[in-house]
Amino acid sequence: MSALLEVENLRVEIAARARRLVAIDDVSFSIPEGEVLGVVGESGAGKSVTGTAILGLLERPAYQAGGRIVFRGNRIDNLDGEAMRALRGREIAAVFQDPLTSLDPLMTIGAQLVETMLTHLPIDRQEAWTRAHRLLAEVGIPAPRERLQSYPHELSGGMRQRVVLALAFCCEPKLIIADEPTTALDVSIQAQVLDLLKRMCRERGTAVMLVTHDMGVIAEAADRVAVMYAGRLVEIGPTSEILRAAAHPYTQGLMASIPTMRRRGGDLLQIPGSMPRPDAPVPGCAFHPRCSHVMDRCRSERPSSFVSGASLAACWLAEHGAPAARPRP
Amino acid sequence: MSTTDRSNGMIPSRWWDSDILYRFRRSPVAVVSGIVTIALIAAAIGADVIAPFDAFDPATANVIDARLPPGSEGIYGDIYLLGTDPQGRDMLSAMIYGLQTSLVVGLSSIALAAFVGVLLGLLAGYFGGMLDALIMRIADVQLSFPAILIALLIDGVTRTALSRETHERLAVPILIAAIAASFWVQYARTVRSLVLTERGREYVLAAKVTGVSTTRILASHILPNVLGPVLVIATINLALAILTEATLSFLGVGIPSTQPSLGSLVRIGNEFIFSGDWWISACPGALLVILSLSVNLFGDWLRDALNPKLNA
Amino acid sequence: MTPDTILSVDGLTVRFDASQPLLTRLVTRTGRRTVHAVELVDLQIARGSTFALVGESGCGKSTIARTIAGVQRPTGGGVSFMGVDIAAFRTRRASMRYRRDLQMIFQDPYASLNPRWRVGRIIAEPIVTHGLLKRGRELDLRIEELLSTVGLSPSDARKFPHQFSGGQRQRISIARALASNPAFIVCDEPTSALDVSVQAQILNLMRKLQQELGLTYLLISHNLAVVAHMADSLGVMYLGRIVEQGDAGQLLDDPQHPYTRLLLDTVPDPHAPNRSRTRLAGEVPSPLSPPTGCAFHPRCPVANERCSHEIPRPVRVRKAWVSCHAVEEARLPPSLPNMLDPLNNTGDAA
Repeated sequence: MSALLEVENLRVEIAARARRLVAIDDVSFSIPEGEVLGVVGESGAGKSVTGTAILGLLERPAYQAGGRIVFRGNRIDNLDGEAMRALRGREIAAVFQDPLTSLDPLMTIGAQLVETMLTHLPIDRQEAWTRAHRLLAEVGIPAPRERLQSYPHELSGGMRQRVVLALAFCCEPKLIIADEPTTALDVSIQAQVLDLLKRMCRERGTAVMLVTHDMGVIAEAADRVAVMYAGRLVEIGPTSEILRAAAHPYTQGLMASIPTMRRRGGDLLQIPGSMPRPDAPVPGCAFHPRCSHVMDRCRSERPSSFVSGASLAACWLAEHGAPAARPRP
Repeated sequence: MSTTDRSNGMIPSRWWDSDILYRFRRSPVAVVSGIVTIALIAAAIGADVIAPFDAFDPATANVIDARLPPGSEGIYGDIYLLGTDPQGRDMLSAMIYGLQTSLVVGLSSIALAAFVGVLLGLLAGYFGGMLDALIMRIADVQLSFPAILIALLIDGVTRTALSRETHERLAVPILIAAIAASFWVQYARTVRSLVLTERGREYVLAAKVTGVSTTRILASHILPNVLGPVLVIATINLALAILTEATLSFLGVGIPSTQPSLGSLVRIGNEFIFSGDWWISACPGALLVILSLSVNLFGDWLRDALNPKLNA
Repeated sequence: MTPDTILSVDGLTVRFDASQPLLTRLVTRTGRRTVHAVELVDLQIARGSTFALVGESGCGKSTIARTIAGVQRPTGGGVSFMGVDIAAFRTRRASMRYRRDLQMIFQDPYASLNPRWRVGRIIAEPIVTHGLLKRGRELDLRIEELLSTVGLSPSDARKFPHQFSGGQRQRISIARALASNPAFIVCDEPTSALDVSVQAQILNLMRKLQQELGLTYLLISHNLAVVAHMADSLGVMYLGRIVEQGDAGQLLDDPQHPYTRLLLDTVPDPHAPNRSRTRLAGEVPSPLSPPTGCAFHPRCPVANERCSHEIPRPVRVRKAWVSCHAVEEARLPPSLPNMLDPLNNTGDAA
């Protein structure tokens, strides 16, 4: 598997008055073709900003302050607006939490699909309408021929998100950045939309960067998972391994604090305190003030990523490949 | 982006606390218009001290000195910086007193309009139903008449109903009421729509669950949270109200010509423009432009600064 | 009604008028439209326990919460709290005792605190409203005590809400709810706006307070794992009706109603990835025109002719009540079939 997307030492800063706040610090990962990479973290961890940076949609006061983003062997973070626009939608598509932000309220669903395809693909209008019809049927919209003439507000939330998926897939992109695509939906609809996303990616070999705060969604859909904390990547590895036996104390704590249907009652494990804000960065490992395994060097020295099983963990505990101790609940 | 940033606390959520001063210092337009506005208001307040002559005192007016151009010397050796009017009054003094009248009328009418509008908007938005429908239909009817027309109507009615002296004495309050009558609708509509969102917010619900009385909910929870936009509208409307006063006075249905206001001064000078005595109209006119422009620019800046959607 | 029942809801119905204005109705020749938010709901909550209501959005769980909290008038039926019918209150004064004993915490920690009030004033509001303490030293001490109870520092009373994180704001909300020494707290999605690690802190705090103060909770949540963690009893709602309610353990381990079973199967569990599950097909129909008969029948894999025209009555299954014809007729298979291919399942339109 060759890497479709490579993010190297990405750094994003936010210009705030006299200071520069670091939103993303030294984040590196790659997504091979056809893989679903889940990016998980709490709000403010920088997962959405990472997606925005890859799409080239960072807006003032945020800007890329370092690192490279390489897509299919070509660097894309220094492309001009025109070239990036051509790439977005054609090769890299985006799906956001609120389907209404991706859909034009004044255009019928059919018109939006057709316009997008005509912009990016060398096909005629006739062919575009045929494909639009086929896509709506494929994403499970009932009566697709009639629905082509519908406006977004005439559909339910779940149906709209299906249309957004159709729009994302209509130019056969290689990579989809999906930012909390199911968060606004009810659990039953969430499962349907996730299934659909997974199936369409598998059939087309499309890779996905799935940004979410929900470990359940990760468990459901991701091949690999990257855990972010305070703008840094703390752990990345195969989903099953991270969910079962995470190496980084933050990931362990996160997993233990999720209530489960199986274990009822009693206290949940809680990570004390809260994540540092970008305006009050923590020296050394960003997690050390909340970590139950904190050592002296954690306070001053920032850990690099170490191999731990099939994963990489940015934790001094993983330095010698020693199995990290499980937290006491 | 802005929403994520806000929830992450990268930007302080209370933008009006500290950021507003920072923004003010960073905007030259705001600084200049703010200083001019404050200087004009100060001049109007200190008119008795600043003005070289008392514009209300007939003794200081000297008909021999009538219609002197700017910079002339009167027969008693007084220097008239901006010339004199047809009654021999010093233009500069008349303008400073005129500014006072214009600002008093402008501020009072806006205060009255804001008070009535905010009150009706609160009631309409919070209680809804028939009361809301009634208030808003009255507002719609009101909106379909231009401000000048309403003021002319009120002026006409009071002129026939009251004696000449009483009318002259009550000219300023009547003018204030007339201008307020045409301005309250905007406040009522804005406040109503703000109340509609605020009253559904959970902190209002929490107060209801606790059993806080409706009056208290309106006064101490909802009102403080809808006042920001009211302040912005008031600032922008102030310039409009001053111009409305000037227009009405110019048309002869506002402030009587015995009392200087910027509008009545322009009207007096209007008769003499073709005899080459331009300064009688032009000076108060220019002051009017400066005043309304600076108030307007300041209001515009305030609106942008207080609008969280614009500061990304 | 048993002696330890603190709150009982009988035949509660709440409908909203969603009609167009009269003129529009006349022009377009459409009739009145009514949202059936809650239909004939019965439930009893035991003192000191946690009763949870779960369901998808629009199922009516929040409407029930608001009706119980006294900010939504019922269309029919009644709510009786400590033996007193709350719908019978005609004046605000008459309801004050009940409002002191029943408090509420809300979903959005950013909207539930007045942004212009200091934390001390926010927490003092219930105390002052009910005249429990005079302003002054005593009130200040009580506020400090409440702040430490929820794990904040006494000096936080002088700060504004925006100076706190989401989790801390939710603690302030809880402190306000505790201020009048209530017996019952309605918790409307208390953690769904919070990150998981903060959610764990708040859930632990809620349990601790329940044990120390003997509180009764009505917990409204769409998160089944949170409900499983907190609830003693459980009610599952679908389109304004409770389809199954009873002992939480029984409902979660041995759910009867097809909706409960499918809902439980749908929840992704990070602790058990890759389990095979039956999907819940389709979407919730509009409460403007709920289906006839059992409201769940268009999505139900075991629905038959009877389900489409007859509303099922609750039948007792050990420690629970289930409203389902299939359960009543004992024709429920041990595992539910996948109803339809998830691609062609959706009966939803506009």
